[in-house]
Amino acid sequence: MPVIFINGEAVDTGEHPTVLQAALANGFYVPHFCWHPELSVVGNCRVCLVEQEGRGVNIACNMPVVDGMRIETDSETVRAQRKAMLQFILLNHPVDCGICDKAGECTLQDYHYAYNGEPALSREPKLKGTKFYPLSSRILLDNERCILCSRCVRFTREVSKSNVLGIEYRGDSALVRPAEDRTLDDDPYSDNVIDICPVGALLSRSFLHQARVWYLEPTPSVCPRCARGCTVQLWHRKPEWQLKTLDPSHNTRILRVTPLENPRVNGPWICNRGRDLGEVLERPRAEQALQKGAGVTMMEAIEATRALIAESTRRIALVSSWASNEELRAFQNALGDRFTSFVKPDQLPEEGEVVEDELLIRADKNPNTRAAQDLFGSEAPEIREDADLILVWGEGVDFAQLPRGAKIVFLGSWLLPEVGHADVFIPLSIQTERRGHYTNFEGVVSAFEPCQPRPEGVIDAETLFPLLAAPGGARGRA
Amino acid sequence: MKHLIPEFERLKTRLPPGHDATLLLPCLRRIQEDQGYIADGDIEGLVEYLGVPRIQIEEVLSFYGMLRRAPIGRWHLQVCHNVSCSMRGAERLLDHLSGRLGIQPGETTPDRRFTLSTVECLGACGTAPVVMVNEAYHENLDPAGLDALLERLD
Amino acid sequence: MTGRKVLTGFEITADSHTLAGYRARGGYEALAKALKTMQPRDVTQEIVDSGIQGRGGAAFPAGRKWQGIDPHDGQPHYLIANADEGEPGTFKDRWVLEHDPHALLESMLLGSYALGVRHAFVYIRGEYDRPWRRLDAAVEEAYAEGLFGENILGSGFSCDLFVFRGAGAYVCGEASSLLGSIEGTRAWPRNRPPRMTVRGLYQAPTVVNNVETIASMAWIIRNGAQAFREIGTEKSPGTRLISISGHIRYPGVYEVELGYSWTKFLHEDCGGLLCNKPLKAVIPGGISSQVMTGMDAKVLTPGEVEGMTLDHEVLRAAGSSLGSGGMIVIAEGTCMVRLLQIMLRFYRHESCGQCTPCREGTGWMHRIIDRIVAGEGRPEDIGTLYHIARFNDGTTICGLGDAAGYAATAMLDNFRDEFDYYIEHGHSKFGGNLECQ
Ligand SMILES: Cc1cc2nc3c(=O)[nH]c(=O)nc-3n(C[C@H](O)[C@H](O)[C@H](O)COP(=O)(O)O)c2cc1C
Ligand code: SF4
Ligand code: SF4
Ligand code: SF4
Ligand code: FES
Ligand code: FES
Repeated sequence: MPVIFINGEAVDTGEHPTVLQAALANGFYVPHFCWHPELSVVGNCRVCLVEQEGRGVNIACNMPVVDGMRIETDSETVRAQRKAMLQFILLNHPVDCGICDKAGECTLQDYHYAYNGEPALSREPKLKGTKFYPLSSRILLDNERCILCSRCVRFTREVSKSNVLGIEYRGDSALVRPAEDRTLDDDPYSDNVIDICPVGALLSRSFLHQARVWYLEPTPSVCPRCARGCTVQLWHRKPEWQLKTLDPSHNTRILRVTPLENPRVNGPWICNRGRDLGEVLERPRAEQALQKGAGVTMMEAIEATRALIAESTRRIALVSSWASNEELRAFQNALGDRFTSFVKPDQLPEEGEVVEDELLIRADKNPNTRAAQDLFGSEAPEIREDADLILVWGEGVDFAQLPRGAKIVFLGSWLLPEVGHADVFIPLSIQTERRGHYTNFEGVVSAFEPCQPRPEGVIDAETLFPLLAAPGGARGRA
Repeated sequence: MKHLIPEFERLKTRLPPGHDATLLLPCLRRIQEDQGYIADGDIEGLVEYLGVPRIQIEEVLSFYGMLRRAPIGRWHLQVCHNVSCSMRGAERLLDHLSGRLGIQPGETTPDRRFTLSTVECLGACGTAPVVMVNEAYHENLDPAGLDALLERLD
Repeated sequence: MTGRKVLTGFEITADSHTLAGYRARGGYEALAKALKTMQPRDVTQEIVDSGIQGRGGAAFPAGRKWQGIDPHDGQPHYLIANADEGEPGTFKDRWVLEHDPHALLESMLLGSYALGVRHAFVYIRGEYDRPWRRLDAAVEEAYAEGLFGENILGSGFSCDLFVFRGAGAYVCGEASSLLGSIEGTRAWPRNRPPRMTVRGLYQAPTVVNNVETIASMAWIIRNGAQAFREIGTEKSPGTRLISISGHIRYPGVYEVELGYSWTKFLHEDCGGLLCNKPLKAVIPGGISSQVMTGMDAKVLTPGEVEGMTLDHEVLRAAGSSLGSGGMIVIAEGTCMVRLLQIMLRFYRHESCGQCTPCREGTGWMHRIIDRIVAGEGRPEDIGTLYHIARFNDGTTICGLGDAAGYAATAMLDNFRDEFDYYIEHGHSKFGGNLECQ
């Protein structure tokens, strides 16, 4: 392994091909805008300049490591040049941080404070650019803030391969544009460009001016919308910054979803459906246990279910492929031997959705089919006509297709029509209200954490199953 | 654009195989030569013929000064205003043209006869000042020579 | 006379540019000789021995560049003649294309043979119409006679040539930008490493040489490296095509033996300055080379200028270069502020916009000088211009950014009083004059 010297210290460069990567991996921070570990090297921003003894200054992101080379990342020349690069970048940048969603996590802000910190040298008026150029129904582009690092362009070329974005014209007229007959709506991964944009030039319409990011914090989670199970961060307000005057749901809402980098599953990306978790998680909740459509207490519902189990002999369970590993095991342990169990999909592809591709998106639109099938087999549900009790766990089952004579116990989380059609309905918590794990289609297990309070009337499935199975009656145990 | 495809195919014979995108600029130039500008339909045609993404064609189109996407006047007068030409009277020439035609650089006369532009060094500095009229260079011009030239352009 | 000739030593007649005309003066003999008696490496060695330096601007030894390619490594290789010629003040390659296109073609064949090239290119600037017609006609003549295509002259060597026409972008003259242009992408210059001889056109090893550099090769192979070395100086062998323009009585293209006296060239061969004005400054090799003052040089002492010769070393020592051979002569009474304005407008217009310092810096400098010319200059503008120039130097992807800075620095260094005057009075010391009246 080549050894190089950075600021006088010997550094084993390992597998890192460039000085920038070797430096970053060894705790020497070298600023960079255009370089991104998943994208090709273009070396256009010029802030990663370092000095090589005997060879002067050059960009670190395109500098191959050569055994014995001596690099200075913070010499006087480097500092002066870096400062000058930031002055160039800010020349026509509007610095409208006050109304910029990126403020607080903007690389340009950080570098300005770390490496420049001086007022503008330029007295010229700033060149004007387009603000709020619509790239799609999801994304706006602010050409004034854009620093032309080309990360977004390379993303659509090299990663998502939608080829929507490009840089047109030249010189200080150069600007990012989509192909004329396309929008980023053609790219199911488009929102990643918002994350990789080092500045606030690419803006999410759904997050636009929703919150200053320093009032938010992320909770690690797993996207439940396909079998890839990308790890994500769910962003919501920090407890210490709760709003008191508005609807309290503002304090717990998921304001945005970003990828949680994970080399084994999704790398640094997620698809747009993963950004829209609100679509599924924030549907109206069922918070009331029901018996034949009439409200009952949780205990009454559990009691009724226990009675139905006791009365029946040919019991079938349709197991949720959205349940966590822990819940699946709890079911197996508590009730596995009382039911003939089949795994069924909770979610099916929607119309117009990308069903499957080579990057992340999987045809199975459920997060935990793999773990469920490991426990309950992968045969398609086969429901005998003479079944007398059917436990439906999770959504996706059309009750009209179930045998007429069977009683139905439905465990679900959302206010669906089926709720009132079941003999017993028990409302369950969802993944943002408890911790747990999913196993993705490749067998990688990822954890999710709670970030929202569990509503009053719902129960965790993990708690429920032992109660349903307990001898001597639920009431006695509770 | 379709009628030019046999011509494009002939160009391929002198190129290494497998690099069709190389034909992009030659095709764009040829289309413009043929009809004066590159239309939307031509871009679509090239996407299909060359198999390059549309955005790449748009990037290329906007990069080069000579390519255009809308028709201009019948005679394109391009006055070089770089160093050597300016030292030999290009600015006076430009003022003269602008006054005579009543248009500024970048504009076309209402009768669509003339479009006036400025360009950077045309590689004719020894015979400065130079005005490019469509493809042809007209060198060593002075206002009188220019007037005589304009007379010849219908 | 400006010394011995390599490229222009024939009389221009109605057909001297045709294949017949070229053959009549010994054309394509070098090719026949090379294909018959030389190995590819021998051809390269001959170029190395000739010591010829690149004529496109950087004066890099051509032989050394060629040695970067192993003709037998089994990969495709490419050779490209750079005829983009966009450097202001430069029109010498046009002379070759119009008057001696077959010298270029024969040399391209020799180079292709030496470098193991199956497909070669000439990249000619988009505005060149007559030069392109001449070149195109020559290519067709050569194809018709079997000088290109399969199995050339029965040697087993095959080579095709594609003449690629640009479309109006100065930056495409930068060799790696040119590759992008041929590949059908945005013509953005590329970072080195990798060198183009490692990864160039279509990711394959590639040599890009200036038209004049390549066109001299046929002469070198025909007459031998030794004969070439006898011309010019020890360190700068051969000749340079100098295209001279501006305030000079006989502008045009001259082939000048390297080491020739500059004063003699200007005042005798080119007839001296227009209007009999004294010399104010000379831009020796295209505006991207540093401007130099003439007789009252601040860069050079008057004594040095008197004896100064035209060769790479002397100009380099003087902090400038022969660059692209585009010499612009400026007479006393010319407004240097306005000249710099034109140059900076040019760089801003031509910057590809890829890298930060050049994209922003060229526009910034241009807006400052526009303001100065409009009479709204501020004393601190000078310092800002120096600052921008300094931080474009060595921080950019290609040489365009550096060159813009050099232009500004050289003008400010040498004509500072004019800038100060303009800023202080709000108007030019020389009435904004550019012409020689
Ligand atoms: C902005 C820019 C423009 C250039 N334009 C030209 C050009 O028009 N013709 C040319 O031969 N070289 C040009 N060059 C130099 C080329 O990059 C390259 O060095 C040259 O073609 C190599 O040929 P040579 O070694 O024979 O000189 C330019 C360089 C830069 C940075
Ligand atoms: S992109 Fe960064 S620096 Fe620019 S306005 Fe937004 S927060 Fe401020
Ligand atoms: S929009 Fe953002 S990512 Fe795209 S080029 Fe501009 S700064 Fe870079
Ligand atoms: S120096 Fe200028 S022309 Fe060259 S790559 Fe950078 S922006 Fe483009
Ligand atoms: S990170 Fe190296 S040039 Fe941008
Ligand atoms: S300056 Fe006009 S042709 Fe060169």
